[in-house]
Amino acid sequence: MGPDIAPGPAVPWRKVLWERQPFPDNYVDERFLEELRRNEGIRQYRYWAVVKEAVLVGQQLSCVAIFITLWLYMEQGLLSPEALLWTSLIVGLLGYGLHNALRPQLGSDRKPRTHLADLQSAAIFLSFTFGFSPVLKTLTESVSTDTVYAMSALMLLAHLVSFPYAHPSPTGSLSLNAALFASVCLASRLPGALHTFAMLSCALLMFALWPCLLQSIRDHAPGPSAWLCVGVCLGGVGGLGSRWPGGAVLLALALVSVILLCPLLLVKLQRHKDNIQGPWDEAEIHEDLCKVPY
Amino acid sequence: MGQRRKKADVSASSEKRASEADTAASNPTASNPTASNPNRKHSICMVSDFFYPNMGGVESHIYQLSQCLIEKGHKVVIATHAYGRRKGVRYLTNGLKVYYLPLQVMYNQSTATTCFHSLPLLRCVFVREAVTVVHAHSSFSAMAHDALFHAKTMGLNTVFTDHSLFGFADMSSVLTNKLLTVSLCDTDHIVCVSYTSKENTVLRATLDPQIVSVIPNAVDPTDFTPDPSQRRGGRITVVVISRLVYRKGIDLLGGIIPELCLKHPDLHFLIGGEGPKRIVLEEVREKYQLHDRVRLLGALEHRDVRGVLVQGHIFLNTSLTEAFCMAIVEGASCGLQVVSTRVGGIPEVLPEDLISLCDPTVRSLCAGLEAVITQLRSGAVPSPADIHARVRSLYTWRNVAGRTEKVYDRVAGEEVLPLDRRLLRLRQHCGSVAGSIFAFVAVLNFLFLLLLQWLVPDQVMDRAVDASGPRALWGPSQRDHPAEEAGAGAPTAE
Repeated sequence: MGPDIAPGPAVPWRKVLWERQPFPDNYVDERFLEELRRNEGIRQYRYWAVVKEAVLVGQQLSCVAIFITLWLYMEQGLLSPEALLWTSLIVGLLGYGLHNALRPQLGSDRKPRTHLADLQSAAIFLSFTFGFSPVLKTLTESVSTDTVYAMSALMLLAHLVSFPYAHPSPTGSLSLNAALFASVCLASRLPGALHTFAMLSCALLMFALWPCLLQSIRDHAPGPSAWLCVGVCLGGVGGLGSRWPGGAVLLALALVSVILLCPLLLVKLQRHKDNIQGPWDEAEIHEDLCKVPY
Repeated sequence: MGQRRKKADVSASSEKRASEADTAASNPTASNPTASNPNRKHSICMVSDFFYPNMGGVESHIYQLSQCLIEKGHKVVIATHAYGRRKGVRYLTNGLKVYYLPLQVMYNQSTATTCFHSLPLLRCVFVREAVTVVHAHSSFSAMAHDALFHAKTMGLNTVFTDHSLFGFADMSSVLTNKLLTVSLCDTDHIVCVSYTSKENTVLRATLDPQIVSVIPNAVDPTDFTPDPSQRRGGRITVVVISRLVYRKGIDLLGGIIPELCLKHPDLHFLIGGEGPKRIVLEEVREKYQLHDRVRLLGALEHRDVRGVLVQGHIFLNTSLTEAFCMAIVEGASCGLQVVSTRVGGIPEVLPEDLISLCDPTVRSLCAGLEAVITQLRSGAVPSPADIHARVRSLYTWRNVAGRTEKVYDRVAGEEVLPLDRRLLRLRQHCGSVAGSIFAFVAVLNFLFLLLLQWLVPDQVMDRAVDASGPRALWGPSQRDHPAEEAGAGAPTAE
């Protein structure tokens, strides 16, 4: 610093404070910042692997579209509630069979859930929904239709935002509740009590049970499950297209951007990542401190 | 601070320098402000939100440094915000003048910042006291950043001392680091308390490392002397003194206590400090029935710390981050074996044979503690008096003041950028968006200053009577024998 820089110090500089060294206080050694580490432990993304994960987001978006399509058909009287109920029953039984077939490979240490318990839950849900459908039908009669639609749209959006895409089974409570709230709102605008019942059973199938089945298929066969998701996406676009072509175009655009463009952005932007770490970082506690010794 | 050849003759020369300063201070004619550069006396204003009666590392740093600078013949005033009913001007030991300015406190004793509202008051202080160097402390203090900004508008030289480490990962650090970049963009010199802290600050504020000096903190060795007679025989006591917060690694401590207490029946823990993580320690104590072996002392006054330290054999520090750990120096100064985590600037603070460094995990800390316990049992450790003798000369406030003085000497000769070049520098250094915004703010600040100068010109402002420095009118009898131990004793509330 200024006039008192020692002439050619022979001793090497050390990064210690307790020793008085023959260097000025603002001395910068060549070892300055040598402990700086950049982008440590960073994940390398491959485009198609990211696309495969993103397809899951797309299929959930399509699920919502399919649900809205079904509701449009019901509202316009193009689909009878009986037909929907029978289809739901058959699809539900098929799905249940598939789920059971995949189950033994998953959790072997846990006690498996019995079929009786499954039957009991199904019976409770169906009977309560059936018993309350006249009530649900008239629930929003005093509310204007615009409000009901706005609320449903908001709730379906909340469902999509809060859906636990990383681990869809069990469905997150917020996303499931939002979806069911939206279904109740929409179902209450249908012409009859049986319509309401059919719509709600369909909603349970779609928002509560389908994510669980999809998760077990994914665990079991990751390849085909991606194609299954693509199928759901195409089904969503096609179904919506039959009643509302403009909506189908919008959905297709949203799907393309979510499934293809966003992963591309993620992968392309990786090279701009500049994460710096060094000795000044706060240490993290990795151990499980609740684990008691002895 | 150059010319330091070997450790041995350094302490001698620093002693000599200190005594020279003493004679200079006692002889007013020797300290002539018109003398050549090295003997130049500065008029320094320390600015920080943190000062007594608030207690902590920054507060005592400012106080002790100011005392030693006064001893060297400089004029020092301190500006901070009002604490409760304590506002206005107060005088501390040796004519250290403190301005408690009526600024609104927002959060954690830090004032709100609008970049403008503090200008009238701070201008008053700077002009009345004829300040030549503004020295701001702590990056948490909004008032310090305001002062740096206003000082540059007023054409004064600035120094900033950073006392803390920041990460780069989360949103809040990204924001504060950007603000620091703006704030330090035209600061003349920055002081950090350890080399790790310097690396951190250089990266955070994108600075030229040449304008960053490393000047460690210090402890007063006379406050922390060993007294082995206070130790209880037949047991080994581990002392922990820290705030009980997450950053101090109290969760790790909660893992260590049961593990070691079960292995060593004669091990006792003495824990001083208070904080939200106290509940963790209380749970551990309850769960393992260790009420007789783990004592929680609660918040400690600074003067009681030594009384607790001398009761222990081992000083344990479990911090997860630390710029410069004063506590371990205090512990070693009291003759304790120090065990600490290897984080931040801690490895730089004590020589390897006085400290056991461990990774910040329960397992590593337990292993480190057990190694020291084994050494203690076999008597293979240096005596407390030996440890104290080695530590006492490592960090002294006189040394800190001497090195800080050099920073002032260097800064005083530097040119303060005129407004146009300042704006250019802001835009070049801080990115186009933030740079433009703050360039605009700098222009507004300049216009505000012009308005204030038009309302009350500098020439008609009263000059304050100096209480310290070359023209001090503060009790000459006191200045004939400057404090034997500069900075000894906390300031008394008048």
